[in-house]
Amino acid sequence: MRGAAVSAPGAERAPLIAFDDVSLVYDGKVRALDGVSFAIERGEIVGLVGESGSGKTTLCRVLMGLLPASFGRIAIAGEPLAARLARDPLGFRRQAQMLKQEAVASLSPRMRIRALAEEPLKIHRLPMTEGRARLLRLLKRLGLPEATLDKFPHQVSGGQARRVAILRALVLEPEIIVADEPTAGLDVSVQGELLNLMRDLHEEFALTYLVVSHNLNVVRRLTDRTIVMYLGQIVEEAPTRALFEAPAHPYAAALLSTNPSVDPARRRERIILKGEIPSPVNPPSGCRFHTRCPQVAERCKIEMPELRETGSGRRVRCHFPLTESTGRTA
Amino acid sequence: MTDASPLVSIRKLTLDATTESGPAHILRGLDLEIGRGRILGVVGESGSGKSTLASALLRLLPSNVSRLDGEIRFDGIDLLALPANEMQAWRGVRIAMIFQDPMTALNPLFTVGTHMVDVLRRRFPELSRREALARSEAMLVKVGIADPHLRLKAYPHQLSGGMRQRVMIAMALSVEPDLLLADEPTTALDATVEAQIVALFDRLRQDFSGSIVFISHHLGLVAELCDDLCVMYGGAIVETGPVAEVLRAPRHPYTRALLDCEIEDGDEGRLATIPGEVPNPLSELTQCIFASRCAHTADICLERHPPLVAMGQGRQAACIRSAEVLPCEVLP
Repeated sequence: MRGAAVSAPGAERAPLIAFDDVSLVYDGKVRALDGVSFAIERGEIVGLVGESGSGKTTLCRVLMGLLPASFGRIAIAGEPLAARLARDPLGFRRQAQMLKQEAVASLSPRMRIRALAEEPLKIHRLPMTEGRARLLRLLKRLGLPEATLDKFPHQVSGGQARRVAILRALVLEPEIIVADEPTAGLDVSVQGELLNLMRDLHEEFALTYLVVSHNLNVVRRLTDRTIVMYLGQIVEEAPTRALFEAPAHPYAAALLSTNPSVDPARRRERIILKGEIPSPVNPPSGCRFHTRCPQVAERCKIEMPELRETGSGRRVRCHFPLTESTGRTA
Repeated sequence: MTDASPLVSIRKLTLDATTESGPAHILRGLDLEIGRGRILGVVGESGSGKSTLASALLRLLPSNVSRLDGEIRFDGIDLLALPANEMQAWRGVRIAMIFQDPMTALNPLFTVGTHMVDVLRRRFPELSRREALARSEAMLVKVGIADPHLRLKAYPHQLSGGMRQRVMIAMALSVEPDLLLADEPTTALDATVEAQIVALFDRLRQDFSGSIVFISHHLGLVAELCDDLCVMYGGAIVETGPVAEVLRAPRHPYTRALLDCEIEDGDEGRLATIPGEVPNPLSELTQCIFASRCAHTADICLERHPPLVAMGQGRQAACIRSAEVLPCEVLP
């Protein structure tokens, strides 16, 4: 039963999620998001990487309608997000669900998991008998014992708390799952289990994922396509495999090179950047990355590069992108 | 190991803490050596006891610790037998520590200069304030801080996260400790800044003659930075040895399983996991600590927890079935 959303005209052709030149400006000067454009088709798994302050979480909140964009257009299945929220706010919340960063913190400590899991059904005034039956099926599917329902959030492990959060999201039969750091704070022995589960659920429930993570390994294993952000802008977007094989933006290259490997044969040459991500209050002129870029040129200090298509589904915001064969500037 | 005698030799280190549900066994009789001038990486999942091990080395323990037994011999002196005032004289002098979160480890009311002069003059009482400041400035340069003169006058909140961690490292190294404890020193940092700090550690070890204990949950990081490896599980050490050899051919099934969970370039298919839950710290050690999650558990594993035994040059593992389930490769 997926009919929660009433399709807008042309919705079948429009991408499920479309950002067109979206900016979010605080206090008239802090550009937390700066001209962000991308599209996500139904059934895709898209990863979003970048360091703190790059705008990843802000982007998720704007997509979820929790923060209003200052400029630009956001469309969900062809319908403007603002119109969709005005027309049918609960319907949109059923269509798009967010898994928050701190799974345990997002569960009220004073409610039992049964009440927490039934809460979405009540908020959305869904038939309880049917909803409860669905909850039990999902509980089983997520590998949670039925006894979990009678526990409080502090009585379950970190991995189980994530599953409860997923349970709360899936009981509404969403189309879109926005997962903000789904494995942060999880031990490596349970991280794989959660990623396998997320992969399976994607197939079984025909979901579309936007996965935010600072863990590059997670993004590489889970996603089809990756968006790299720096200081509120998209600097590179590419099929995940191609990006990890040969990043084209110098920042993406540096970020990917920091991924330590236990296998000496697979270790990359580390690219050590100077300094840290600058403040979005006073971003650098020209290319926002020029203050830290290893191959900065005069032009980069003056002129901001556009996010340009470079073929094979890749977009890069750099005057001198790295070539695939040499890793040097073209 | 270059010097035959280790800097620190830990024997049967046992630590219990009082909880509402009874005594929790946080460290279950650790035996460990820290070689001179070596970087020892301590890895393990949450609750494995790796941070408590660092706290025990400094004897900075929470008040609910009900039992602390065993020996920590530091150059022959048992730290656990020292009176409290003598132990205090070791902290920040022969043993220094870098904490995980540099924001909470620095006092927001004092400048970087005050922090650095304080630790320096405690360590070297003969230094004047001016000399200590000069030395601090030189140290900030060493850890890669630009405009050190200005930074000495800055308060912690005026520095970025990476800069604060550099200040912590400068403070710890300025006292020229014999042993530096670093508890997840890069976990709170962004990836590109983490890479900078790891490169800094790598560079600093050239002129630092002491030993380092580097605690991390990140196996890849430890593999790149450390000489030796200590793998902890449920408050016990399950394997130790030179890092490259342990990772190439682990002798304990838990180390093997942890390695399998790492996501590597080019891997395909489903991800490996370790089914089950970490052992309950309240339970007594009546069987192998890893038995409930191990893929190779046999009856013999349930009889008692096996001790760490030597398995090849400089290597130890606590697995009774090691030779059988993780057969040694024959080296060419």
